[in-house]
Amino acid sequence: MLVSEREQLRDNLETWIKQYGSNRSALIPVLEEVQRKYGHISEYVMQVVADILDIHPVEVDSVVSFYSFLGHKPKGRFIVRLCRTISCEMQAKARVAQQLENDLGIRFGETTANGNFTLEWANCLGMCDQGPALLVNERIYTHVTPETVHDILEECRSTFGVYAPTSQTVMDVQSTDTSKMTFIGVDGRIGLDRAMEMESKAIIEAIEDSGLKGRGGAGFPTSLKWKLAAEVDDEQKYVVCNADEGEPGTFKDRVILTDFPDLMFEGMTVASRAIGASKGIIYLRGEYTYLRARLEDKLEERRRNGLLGSNVAGVQGFDFDIEIRMGARAYVCGEETALIESLEGQRGEPRNRPPFPVNTGFMGHPTIVNNVETFAWVPCILVKGADWFRKIGTETSTGLKLFSVSGDCREQGVFEFPLGISIRELLEKVGGEDAKAVQVGGAAGHCIPASEFDRAIAFEDLATGGSIIVFGPERDMLEVAQNFMEFFNDESCGQCTPCREGNIRLLEGVEMLGAGQCSMKYLRELCNLGETMQMACKCGLGQSSPNAFLSIIEHFKDEIMGRVSVAC
Amino acid sequence: MSSLLEKNTSRAPASLCVQKANPSRGGVDAAVEITLHIDGKEVTVASGTTILEAARKIGIRIPTLCYHEDLCVAGVCRICVVEIEGRKHLEASCAYPIMAPIAVRTHTRKVRMARRHILDLMLSEHYGECYACFRNNNCELQALAQEYGVDFFRFGHPEKPRYKVDRSSHSVIRDMDKCILCRRCIRTCIDLQEVGVLEVDNRSCNSKVVTFGDKPLGDVICINCGQCINRCPTGALQANDPTDDVWAAIDDPAKHVVIQTAPSPRAGIGECFGLEPGVPLTFEMNTALKECGFDKVFDTNFAADLTIIEEGTELLLRLHKALVEKDGSTALPQFTSCSPGWVKYLEHFYPEYIPNLSTAKSPQQMFGAVIKTYYAELNNVDPKDIVTVALMPCSAKKFECNRPEMCDSGFKDIDYGLTTRELAQMISEAGIDLPAMPKSDFDDPFGTATGSGVIFGATGGVMEAALRSVIELVCGIKVEDLFEHADIIPVRGFEGIRFMELPIAKVGPVPDLLKNLIGDWDWLKGATLKVAVAHGTANAKRVMEDIKAGGRCSECHFIEFMACPGGCLGGGGQPIPTSPAIREARAKAIYAEDAAYEIRKSHENPAITKIYGEFLTDGPCSHSSHKLLHTQYMPRGKYIV
Repeated sequence: MLVSEREQLRDNLETWIKQYGSNRSALIPVLEEVQRKYGHISEYVMQVVADILDIHPVEVDSVVSFYSFLGHKPKGRFIVRLCRTISCEMQAKARVAQQLENDLGIRFGETTANGNFTLEWANCLGMCDQGPALLVNERIYTHVTPETVHDILEECRSTFGVYAPTSQTVMDVQSTDTSKMTFIGVDGRIGLDRAMEMESKAIIEAIEDSGLKGRGGAGFPTSLKWKLAAEVDDEQKYVVCNADEGEPGTFKDRVILTDFPDLMFEGMTVASRAIGASKGIIYLRGEYTYLRARLEDKLEERRRNGLLGSNVAGVQGFDFDIEIRMGARAYVCGEETALIESLEGQRGEPRNRPPFPVNTGFMGHPTIVNNVETFAWVPCILVKGADWFRKIGTETSTGLKLFSVSGDCREQGVFEFPLGISIRELLEKVGGEDAKAVQVGGAAGHCIPASEFDRAIAFEDLATGGSIIVFGPERDMLEVAQNFMEFFNDESCGQCTPCREGNIRLLEGVEMLGAGQCSMKYLRELCNLGETMQMACKCGLGQSSPNAFLSIIEHFKDEIMGRVSVAC
Repeated sequence: MSSLLEKNTSRAPASLCVQKANPSRGGVDAAVEITLHIDGKEVTVASGTTILEAARKIGIRIPTLCYHEDLCVAGVCRICVVEIEGRKHLEASCAYPIMAPIAVRTHTRKVRMARRHILDLMLSEHYGECYACFRNNNCELQALAQEYGVDFFRFGHPEKPRYKVDRSSHSVIRDMDKCILCRRCIRTCIDLQEVGVLEVDNRSCNSKVVTFGDKPLGDVICINCGQCINRCPTGALQANDPTDDVWAAIDDPAKHVVIQTAPSPRAGIGECFGLEPGVPLTFEMNTALKECGFDKVFDTNFAADLTIIEEGTELLLRLHKALVEKDGSTALPQFTSCSPGWVKYLEHFYPEYIPNLSTAKSPQQMFGAVIKTYYAELNNVDPKDIVTVALMPCSAKKFECNRPEMCDSGFKDIDYGLTTRELAQMISEAGIDLPAMPKSDFDDPFGTATGSGVIFGATGGVMEAALRSVIELVCGIKVEDLFEHADIIPVRGFEGIRFMELPIAKVGPVPDLLKNLIGDWDWLKGATLKVAVAHGTANAKRVMEDIKAGGRCSECHFIEFMACPGGCLGGGGQPIPTSPAIREARAKAIYAEDAAYEIRKSHENPAITKIYGEFLTDGPCSHSSHKLLHTQYMPRGKYIV
């Protein structure tokens, strides 16, 4: 690198760091800028950034290595990332992968000699209903076939030449039919205005009356979370929207972010009013970068309309604004404390709890972290009334829920159903009647065999953030288990022993089963290990990572045991 | 105190710490007492106490691995999980603050199964070559495996090493095959010492403790303090062990092998032989070393006294230059230079302050230079046949003796640095039961030492020794006139940064030793000598930032820095484990030894008078002492290409 280039690089770094607030929290956004502009994060950059932020270079190094979208090594101008998660896997991803390797003349993980293309795997791009999905830099392609691979690569070559697009906002994907969704008929502004006339306590009570629980899947009562944060006495509080939708088979937040962002913004604004926060942050997953510009435009529009900024919606003294922060690809950042760590410029490693974020969250201040969909339901509840919401669903799982449906069924996409719906009913509506199993809750969820299709999708039975993956009669359930275990083995943050070492042992177990080499005794040991992981891991990722393995082993032993190994 | 001194610059990832919730925000209120039950036993603790602490209070043992008293809580190894009645998940007892009257069970079926699995998982990744490991019988993982009756490797065991052992550093060897990712070394390096060499790279089972860019340790900004070694539960980190070379020198009849022993190892080595911390074995060790075959056993305290004279004179000369000659370029405050970890820290992080470092070598290196010149001459031994070994509580001393500039005698001043642990190993190998050895004295001509030399081992000791001499040499009074038993209490203790001011009300005549250099002390009359003491590089950093900001530290004249928490007695070469209580016990032993000495001031050491009379005849800070006893430093900076 020329000395002059190096000086310019240093200038750029100084500018970015200043722009993002000159503290450690600026680290990841700055690294993302570097990654975008320079294609990689060099040792020189890491040292300069560390120097300016007064942290150690090895800490920057450690953060870079944690996030898949950040990297030390120079990559091609076009980074082609093919989704390898279960739904895309089931839609002939393997052939697309082979064709990509053939056309580019490289293997996954490699870069072409001319520095144009790098080929990588991605974990769930949130396009499960239209896979196989491919992300080229920030641009998303869906329904990719071996034949269209060539066109996509040619488009890159011809449109952009040697210049990679820097801020692609083009979105050329199948739109979701939202005509039957409640969201389409709700004017969130009315809900917002109603909330503005209410005391904090009244807002929280209204949400409590509705029975709304966290739509991310954990099902924690939203009103209780808000109440705990509201009770804490602190000048600075935060409302964080978890838009790090990374659970395999989940893409309903993408639809909300695309079609109903205002409902989400309104929900966040109501929440800030309820807990007394002045700052909102949307943690948007890196894979959804193509949505960012539109969301920024929407936020700008809201600021122009007086719905963000000072004296929001005409309420004197109520200041609230929303900032978008990008994730850099780490599934675990969907866990709320990991998300907060990430916002603080750290590796996304879940914290010890208690204390909980409602007490000690972002920068040590009370913070509520809610899912995109949770926020979107808030204005609906305020418009249509808590009673309306409460009457839908079951006693402990009230209201409506969006479901991301993919896999072996006629209609894939996002659907709105009341909670409490049985798997059988759901399958009838999406045309998956002949399924032999359904994965409820994504990789972290449970695999339910046909014999249990009468079970209800509700927090008291099968809790889910909305991911429904349907497996038809021909699916090999061991391959499914392998896909999930590979996913966790890639996505564990690695800090706690049972998750870091347990998942690799379970994956090895699946591979042994595939090779027909696993004794019943060892399989039992692995199942016991799975139970230990459920009990002893530090966070929800580790605790739920053996679920799929355990449920598939439990229900499909006849299909899995005693396989005859095919020598290769 | 300036705000910078109070600023918490700790940057340990929050995930690795128990977040201290603010009571005003409805979190932990330590004033509230909570009564809970652990295994049916009742215990009352302050709100926010962890389950582990509560259990220890009533004598219930919960195993731990990633937990360490000196470090912030991580809660990552999960070996300390316990069951809270009514909860589905187990909780890490080290990281769970008690905020409600819970009922805890520490050894239910679930807990035992989980612990056994966690151990089995650790063992499935730990390349345990226990017989060939320096931590054999002192390994926390091994001890747990025994405690939990591990009799087979449930999830397998690595058959072959996967990583290359990093032997690039003179001081610290890293063997990642033995790492179980408890992250104690990281918390030591980033949080406790704030040096920041180690972090975790990557994620999932691919995660690994690395240096910046995964470079060899010898190529990064490691200061060799070895604090990570003392806190590693396994053998993943160890000091670079030269015992084979030392034995070879002993076995070679042509070699004259001399060893000097520093004060701290004496206070710690008993721990390697099963004694409680704080039992000094100074004179037993002398006998044992002779039994091992060393030709001479000298006391590093002699060189410590020599350091006080050289470094103290240097300070007085600097003050003279600044106050009398009005030379504005005089670098003050003067920093001590006996801690090689601190010296390298300054060279990396504050190279612009190198002029402030005393040019006096550390006692170890002074002694080496003296042995290979003065001693060689006196005893008619060819210095090329002398092998100098230094027993130190320190891993950085191994680096220091290999600094290229450390050969002013014409030879490598110190050939080998041994840690306390390594010497204990040699003594064991010779079949010697150290505590049972008869006592014997150090060898002449350096046999006589003073209490001032001994206290070099504790934080504040160098400062106390220097003050004892300055008070007597400058003020012409007895230290005892100002401080009972000559114990200068204000500079003692474990407070991270300590200050002391010494008004010079009257001055005495200039002693003969310094007459060449300074005519009178009148210019110091009425002045106040301001000094400070800092231990652990995290505190050193705070002092340096305060100096940069023009705070209280910048007004000091002399500052003692020790890289290790507690000073040398907590050095990276000391017996494992370490804890605040262990370090306190060692300090007690050191101060007790000081109190027992007849001569307790460096300038009164007859061997010192003798060496300036016979050998360094032009006096302290003169031409000959500069050649042998002083050195220069290297601005290293922190950028790595």
